[in-house]
Amino acid sequence: MNIGTRLYTRLNGELVGEDAHGNRYYQSREAKTAPLYRRKRWVVYKGRVEASKVPAEWHGWLHYTCDAPLDGGARAWVQPHLPNLTGTPAASVPAGDERRGGQRPAATGDYQAWRP
Amino acid sequence: MPKLTIDGIAVDVPAGTTVLQAAESIGIEIPRFCYHERLSIAGNCRMCLVEVKPGPPKPAASCALPVAEGMEVRTNSEMARKARRGVMEFLLINHPLDCPICDQGGECDLQDQALTFGADRSRFQESKRAVAEKNLGPLIRTAMTRCIQCTRCVRFCTEIAGVPDLGMVGRGEHAEIMPYLDGVLGSELSGNLVDVCPVGALTNGAYAYTARPWELAHTESIDVLDAVGAAIRVDTRGAQVMRVLPRLNEAVNEEWLADKSRYAIDGLKVQRLDTPWVRRDGTLKPATWAEAFDVIARRLADVPGSRIAALVGDQVDAETATVLKDLWTALGSPHLDCRQDGAALEAGARAGYVFNTTIAGIEDADAVLLIGTDPRAEAPLINARLFKRFRKGGLRVGRVGLSGRDLIYPVEDLGDDPSVLTAIAGGTHPFAEVLKAAQRPMLIVGQGALARPDGAAVLALARAIAEATGMVIEGWNGFNVLHTAAGRVGALDLGLVPGEGGRDAAGIVSGCAEGAIEAVYLVGADERDLSGLGQAFVIYQGSHGDAGAQVADVILPGAAWTEKDATYVNTEGRVQRATRAVLPPGEAREDWKIVRALAEALGHRLPLDTLAQVRARMVALAPVLGRLDTLAPAGWAPFGRAGTVAATPFAPAVTNRYMTCPITRASPTMAACVRAFLNGNEKRTGTDG
Amino acid sequence: MLHDRDRIFTNLYGFHDWHLAGARARGDWDNTAAILARGREAIITEMKASGLRGRGGAGFSTGLKWSFMPREIGERPHYLVVNADEGEPGTCKDRDIMRFDPHKLIEGCLIAGFAIGAHVAYIYIRGEFVREAEHLEAAIAEAREAGLLGPDACGSGWAMEVHVHRGAGAYICGEETALIQSLEGKKGQPRLKPPFPAGVGLYGCPTTVNNVESIAVAPTILRRGGAWFAGLGRENNTGTKVFCISGHVNNPCNVEEEMGIPLRELIEKHAGGVRGGWNNLLAVIPGGSSVPVLPRDVCETVRMDFDSLREVKSGLGTAAVIVMDQSTDIVKAIARLSRFYKHESCGQCTPCREGTGWLWRVMERLVTGEASIEEIDTLEQVTRQIEGHTICALGDAAAWPIQGLIRHFRPEIVNRIKARQGQARAAE
Repeated sequence: MNIGTRLYTRLNGELVGEDAHGNRYYQSREAKTAPLYRRKRWVVYKGRVEASKVPAEWHGWLHYTCDAPLDGGARAWVQPHLPNLTGTPAASVPAGDERRGGQRPAATGDYQAWRP
Repeated sequence: MPKLTIDGIAVDVPAGTTVLQAAESIGIEIPRFCYHERLSIAGNCRMCLVEVKPGPPKPAASCALPVAEGMEVRTNSEMARKARRGVMEFLLINHPLDCPICDQGGECDLQDQALTFGADRSRFQESKRAVAEKNLGPLIRTAMTRCIQCTRCVRFCTEIAGVPDLGMVGRGEHAEIMPYLDGVLGSELSGNLVDVCPVGALTNGAYAYTARPWELAHTESIDVLDAVGAAIRVDTRGAQVMRVLPRLNEAVNEEWLADKSRYAIDGLKVQRLDTPWVRRDGTLKPATWAEAFDVIARRLADVPGSRIAALVGDQVDAETATVLKDLWTALGSPHLDCRQDGAALEAGARAGYVFNTTIAGIEDADAVLLIGTDPRAEAPLINARLFKRFRKGGLRVGRVGLSGRDLIYPVEDLGDDPSVLTAIAGGTHPFAEVLKAAQRPMLIVGQGALARPDGAAVLALARAIAEATGMVIEGWNGFNVLHTAAGRVGALDLGLVPGEGGRDAAGIVSGCAEGAIEAVYLVGADERDLSGLGQAFVIYQGSHGDAGAQVADVILPGAAWTEKDATYVNTEGRVQRATRAVLPPGEAREDWKIVRALAEALGHRLPLDTLAQVRARMVALAPVLGRLDTLAPAGWAPFGRAGTVAATPFAPAVTNRYMTCPITRASPTMAACVRAFLNGNEKRTGTDG
Repeated sequence: MLHDRDRIFTNLYGFHDWHLAGARARGDWDNTAAILARGREAIITEMKASGLRGRGGAGFSTGLKWSFMPREIGERPHYLVVNADEGEPGTCKDRDIMRFDPHKLIEGCLIAGFAIGAHVAYIYIRGEFVREAEHLEAAIAEAREAGLLGPDACGSGWAMEVHVHRGAGAYICGEETALIQSLEGKKGQPRLKPPFPAGVGLYGCPTTVNNVESIAVAPTILRRGGAWFAGLGRENNTGTKVFCISGHVNNPCNVEEEMGIPLRELIEKHAGGVRGGWNNLLAVIPGGSSVPVLPRDVCETVRMDFDSLREVKSGLGTAAVIVMDQSTDIVKAIARLSRFYKHESCGQCTPCREGTGWLWRVMERLVTGEASIEEIDTLEQVTRQIEGHTICALGDAAAWPIQGLIRHFRPEIVNRIKARQGQARAAE
């Protein structure tokens, strides 16, 4: 969080909540918002600034899709939110990649051979 | 010879030439869409407008304007350029401009000419027109919104293919090209619509979305799926044949190609023999070449040549036939036959087994007798020539056998009973008078008439008719045999027929069943019923796993025609070369090399190590094969064996015109054609793939 | 003004009997054999001397057209085709001729057929003309009964048959080659010229295609002499002509008048003047929908003949005078004509097929003013891109009314666009 954001948040922000990862969500105070304009919403990340850290329940709120964050995590089939892992050791690697041992099925060729 | 100037260049052309042709003769290209050299002039695209003096102060359509003495043509004046730009703008206002997803992209006349003659932006702000797709069967994919109504396809169908099924319906902006009746286009030349269409409205259904023209490597070759020997260009990408296009050959196919030849190429990717197979304990197992030859050598070690036979298939090239002939001579076996369908053709007199009139010569004929042949199914391009001749007027066509079949021109059915032939030969039949009265009469004998026990008698009868009605005169030979097998004429030229005391195709099969023949070598021979080979040791060589491979004890994988440099002789006796476009798959090898290697395994080392040596030997065996692409009239000599002809009607040589060989039988597109064209039209909508 | 004694169509209004007896009483079929006895050359020379120009719109000399036919009848028979496919909006002259004076046409067919060496004439009549076709059929039957047609027409020894063929209602079939195509049973689309019909026409045989009026006036010209006909009207624009006056006049009518009559005189004398007085006139289309419109100041002085109207960049066309007073929305009127041409384009050649639709759509927007000022010039250029680039004249016919509109009423279009833009700004 750079100095400008810190100052702006201090002056205008009203804390709305915090998600499981520790990211904090703000919106501009009622009094600071001009009439007929909607209240500005923003997020202050915990740690590295990375947009994909925002979980689904807060993503909707942040983009004015819903008035309040959804209550996530209550259902057994909802998996915990993960940020984009590209570039990290936990990144997804397809089967047959060198990092998975490089075992690939043989090419099928561009013709179909006859079998008795 | 009117003299005129085009762009300041003086030209002298015969009267009746159009301005566009005159300009073309001096290398000035005038843009055009509707004009096509082989179709009638429509003059409706207006792209070829030029400024002409003297004349009214407006541009004239050069494609329809005959030249006149003292004419002054300017193809690049301000007026002409303005006119073309205007026409191009009009063509593009209702064109979807979907080049990135259009299969014609890269070889589109509209694209090229828009680049050269069009403006860089459109002033058209209204909505564009959309046109419903039409169902033209599995071969042609339509995108009618792209159509520019040049009516080339309509004229092609009417004037070349002889099926006036397509037309321009509606008027003004609502004019659409469509089949008059809902249903697929019943032409065996419909693939040419793709070539004729200057835009992407009619595109190749099987090739759709697979390649761009600039990715393709081109190989000029010869088609072998029928015996016409059409000139083709094989377009390949990597190891795959992507499509086949016709090449210009005025003497054979002009610039057309039959659907089977164009679309059967997806059969080259299916059912391929890519490794030798050896039967062990009753089942076929993959093997190496060495193992396969070892098995053959051990099995045939004690078998005398008189107990070994060979059957040669329909697409066997002349090189393979040469090596095979030498091998069989070395083995001392007379049992060798290239006529697996049992056609009673003799290797002796060449005039007795080729299309003497020549395909181009059909245009001079004025009376035709068809004997047991359906040229529409057996050789669509020859049928198209007959239709071309018919359109000039004054052609009478009579037919004996296979009556009722719809050829695209009117035919007089003289009866199914072969005894009609006797009547014509004897001059008692009214059609004999027609033939006698004709200046240039011709007859065509089909394989259906010859591939029967009394085939030799039919052949003799046909010769008698030719002689009795004056078909064989100075400068004209009206006796023609229409083949269906591309390799047959070459094999006959090389004498691949039973030697002294040898068995013919039927004899070989029955000999196998009786045990008189101990081993049989099938070189691409699949068309005969091979179930009765008994205990004989069967070696099959070919490119596709078909009937022959099923019964084989050893399978030697060969190459298809796109995979080898080979010589083929078409039904006219024209010697042509096919060129290798891709390599044979897997372990498969060129056929002449396999026969050569087999000979060595059998202990007969032939002095034929290179293609050049094989071809030299080929010409030594049959000097006529040394003359490429040219025809010399074959001398008239006796052939056929007079005898009684049974009253049974002639059977068709081709029962399924889309499936005539292992390649076409393997092709999914041909299977789709059979479903669409032969088994009744299925109800489909234009949006179906 | 034309004297009654010089009138050719004496039953134009149907006051008299149109049957054979009535026609004979008016002088038709009077010693036709004597006219034929003069011989082909004499007839054609007389027609040339009369200076008769084709009444179908293009104004090509009729005598000259007949002379283009091969002198000798070769292997292929000659045909006469009468173009009675009168579809030009505003035109209804042929209709009244066929309805009330069919024998003039049939006699003309015999004479023209003789002059060009045709034994068969086809009258291609517009499909909508039901009664007219019936009258023609009846008149042909009468003539044949009386021996005026048939193997020995009028006792002249010339065999002549006339057939009526009913069209199916396509405007383009009024174009001579499209008419021939339609007559042959094909789709009515113009053919390329050359070859001209005089060489290769109906069924590939030499054919002359003439308008009904051109044929119908021929017997009278030959009876009274080419010099009489040439004495009427102006030089190169001789004779009389049936004018069709419609629109905002007090008394819309068909009237036969001398060529070269001033437009104002024509309207005021015969049509009872413009509705609300001459000053209420906005514009006149002088020759059927295909020719450019003329504003009032031009209408004051212009004479109604081929050359005078050409000088003011319009045309005589079929001489169908469409009068529009100040209440007319001139842009909408021309837009309606554009729609007509878009609907009637045959779709064969590119500029007309694509261009007419474009013109109509832009015109529709100009009616409401939903366009920009530059589009007027674009529209003008598009009409120039169509004009002269097509196989037949329908492309020209679609382009000319719009060119006339832009030439004379550009301020009107500009005002509309500006008004519309003003409204749009006010809405903001």
